[in-house]
Amino acid sequence: MTKRWTRLTVLLTVLAMVLAACSSSTSDTTAGDTAPDETAAPGDTTTETTTPPDTQPSEEPVTLRAAVTGGEDTLNPYTYVSGFPGWNLLMLQYDSLMQFDAAGEPALWLAESVESNDDLTEWTITIVDGVAFSDGEPLTIDDVAFTFNYFIDNAAGRFARDLRGVNGVEVTGDRTMVVTLDAPNPSFELVALADIPIIPEHIWSEVENPEEHQFDSVTNIGSGPFVLVDYTEDQSYRFEANDSYFRGAPAIDELVVVVFADDAGPLAAIRSGEIDVIFERISPEQIELLDAQDPIDVIQGPEFTTQMINYDVTRAPFDDLAVRQAIDLAVDRQDIVDTVFLGSATVGSPGWVHPDKTVYNPDVAATHDPDAARQLLEDAGYTDSDGDGIREFDGQPMSFEMITNSSDSLRLRITELVGEMLGDVGIEVSVASVETATWEEAVWPGFDINNGRNYQMAAWGWSAPIQANTIRVAELVHSDPAIGFLNLTGFADDEVDAIAAQLQTEADEATAAALIGDLQALIAEQLPFVLLAYPDGAYAYNSESYDGWEFIAGQGVVSKVSLLEPAARP
Amino acid sequence: MKRLDLSKLGQYAIVVFVAVTLNFALPRLMPGNPLALIAGVDVGLLTPEERAELIDQFGLDDPILEQYGDYWVSIFTGDLGQSFRSGRPIVEMIAERLPWTLLLAGGALVLSSVVGILLGAISAWRRGGKVDIPLLTGMIALQSLPSFWLGMLLISIFAVNLGIFPSFGAESPAADLVGWDRFRDIAEHAVLPIATLSVLSTPGVYLTMRYSMLEVLGEDFIRTARAKGASERRVLFGHVARNAFAPVVTFLAIRFAFAFGGSVIIETVFSYPGLGRLVFEAVSGRDFPVMQAAFLVFTAAVLVANLVADLLYPLIDPRTRAT
Repeated sequence: MTKRWTRLTVLLTVLAMVLAACSSSTSDTTAGDTAPDETAAPGDTTTETTTPPDTQPSEEPVTLRAAVTGGEDTLNPYTYVSGFPGWNLLMLQYDSLMQFDAAGEPALWLAESVESNDDLTEWTITIVDGVAFSDGEPLTIDDVAFTFNYFIDNAAGRFARDLRGVNGVEVTGDRTMVVTLDAPNPSFELVALADIPIIPEHIWSEVENPEEHQFDSVTNIGSGPFVLVDYTEDQSYRFEANDSYFRGAPAIDELVVVVFADDAGPLAAIRSGEIDVIFERISPEQIELLDAQDPIDVIQGPEFTTQMINYDVTRAPFDDLAVRQAIDLAVDRQDIVDTVFLGSATVGSPGWVHPDKTVYNPDVAATHDPDAARQLLEDAGYTDSDGDGIREFDGQPMSFEMITNSSDSLRLRITELVGEMLGDVGIEVSVASVETATWEEAVWPGFDINNGRNYQMAAWGWSAPIQANTIRVAELVHSDPAIGFLNLTGFADDEVDAIAAQLQTEADEATAAALIGDLQALIAEQLPFVLLAYPDGAYAYNSESYDGWEFIAGQGVVSKVSLLEPAARP
Repeated sequence: MKRLDLSKLGQYAIVVFVAVTLNFALPRLMPGNPLALIAGVDVGLLTPEERAELIDQFGLDDPILEQYGDYWVSIFTGDLGQSFRSGRPIVEMIAERLPWTLLLAGGALVLSSVVGILLGAISAWRRGGKVDIPLLTGMIALQSLPSFWLGMLLISIFAVNLGIFPSFGAESPAADLVGWDRFRDIAEHAVLPIATLSVLSTPGVYLTMRYSMLEVLGEDFIRTARAKGASERRVLFGHVARNAFAPVVTFLAIRFAFAFGGSVIIETVFSYPGLGRLVFEAVSGRDFPVMQAAFLVFTAAVLVANLVADLLYPLIDPRTRAT
């Protein structure tokens, strides 16, 4: 009998634990099942609850609800996750010395003036008077100098990289400092001054390990137009307007950023009125659908992300220029833009640079000529000797695996189209669609090109910052891993190396432009990769909630500029 | 009885050992690198020195056996370490997510067991009748619905078109609700995910109950019970249902345990902040410590559920009592 009692006791204890763990849940469920009759629409609920008892409707605070896909962690300069939209959300709270204007060019912001010496190695920066952080402390030139030194000393990620080559930071006046560089850097404004968030010394001087610094009410203090007041992991961020912002109070009072797990969620939520704007590009097939629905509008413009074909240039047959050129001739870029992007993309330039950039070389144009591609392959000895429709090289069929990431459906469609186009000229492509981390590991093992490559062909793309700063093309094509650390295809060419290296430090604007022009021609001829298209940005928003969105060329609408009064914009 | 329990214990120990080892090995056997997650943005921009420093700091280059040893230590000390992604203690992250997952799983379990058991019993009692055949066909059809599709369908009908229920999340974002309002808000948000999960898990319960009942109905003791003049009601509840219940309980226990793993797909479709979502984010970023910990919770839940079922069985079915 006692044995049985022991058994019962054990069982009851376990049961009690389980029940305790879910007791609240069961009651919640019943409430949810019995309540629906009197449930208001979700949109109504939110308005009701976020608005305090409103006796004065004119002063009702404007809250915008935006959607992002995937969390951005605690959103301080060391913890945010993605280059887009993570950096953009980060910069709602902080200011940089310069700010991108609508044309995508750096304009003066926290800086009142930025001057450099003739060889671009010494930069004198004066900041605006009277700016304060959101906790009321003044933003001084010491904070700016501290920021530069802090990022250099706590090297991790983007901002330390921005400041590579900085030799010294010296405060020379009340609002002035001088930054000295090791070598001329023509893109210092774009890369560093318009990118780096100025952080308060009185807070960060105490932070020893920024990577592990957790969010609380003071960690995210900046001088920006918004203050992060609330964060729930993988659920939401709440920003409140900083009414004493130095360019004037923002156009909205509160911004709630909702974190979705996948990109279908935001599309449903904007249609149901639960959110007001999607802080991610929407896919081409959604543009018309959403635009047609009132009150949703879609704003579009050029962006600098890329879609391209990578191949392992160190391996036969891609080491043969004829093969690369044949691939370039065989792909129909216009077809990709029309079929995959439904027209909302810009046809890729084989010379890498986006046609909207001032340094674009218009002589470099893509040609689609499958006959020429076939002839080229034929002449180079890649013939189809066994009549199976696939050419041979070194006695093997020209049959390759092209790897792509399954999470990007557009890229998958591009890969399939490219496969067909290459099949037409006798190169067989089998599409391998794998999960993103696996794809990255094959194309870019350990994110270090010194580890080599584990792919034959791959669909690939770079984020906007690399295209935005044209000089960075050297990183994609230079054969020295120290310079060409993004050279994923193993490409090497002496002439390209020489120009790319010279470009990195060329102080004279005209010479630099000429060099970039030459480099585009060389890349288009040598083809370290085949650039297919630059997808345009398209953002959906509820025009009744807010319609002040400003499309910054190359960057889209997710920016503090969109949320400022028109007069306050750069 | 003692001997039996000891050998049971031994079995559980072996299962735990194998499961923990697999939990450790699987994330590392996957291609892909957590470096991107740790460095956050633009991992390609790191210099080789910075990269080496990060790898060292997070112990990614420690000998594999040392990492394995550390993992065991972490299990016994209950300190599961920090996430690569957020640097937060994982125990805290799991504690935050678990209630949401349990809300969904528990709600769906209650709903689907009540409906499934009832319908299963009716179906079996009237086997081959006007109720049984359409029910059986319908249940099999429901079981084959893809979960993400059903979830999206419900969102599209009830959130987008009718606007009755919210389409995402566990509560209204940053709404600062308290008390009854918050309770109601959470309940509203749970309706669609629980409905999806319930629809998907009812057929399993139904089928188990139905087949188990049919088996019992064919037993000799049922004929005996009827022969001795027991009422239909007494036969159904006293003899059939009670005996048919055992397999259903095991089924439910295991089902509940699996729910601890989070319903990855449902939680993704509804952007629900449960364990499944945590696992999803951890796997896509190769957040090894979080993956290990989440798998561990999962393993533990399945083992505990097994134990519960083992202990429950003899209470329900005296034939399985050890002597």
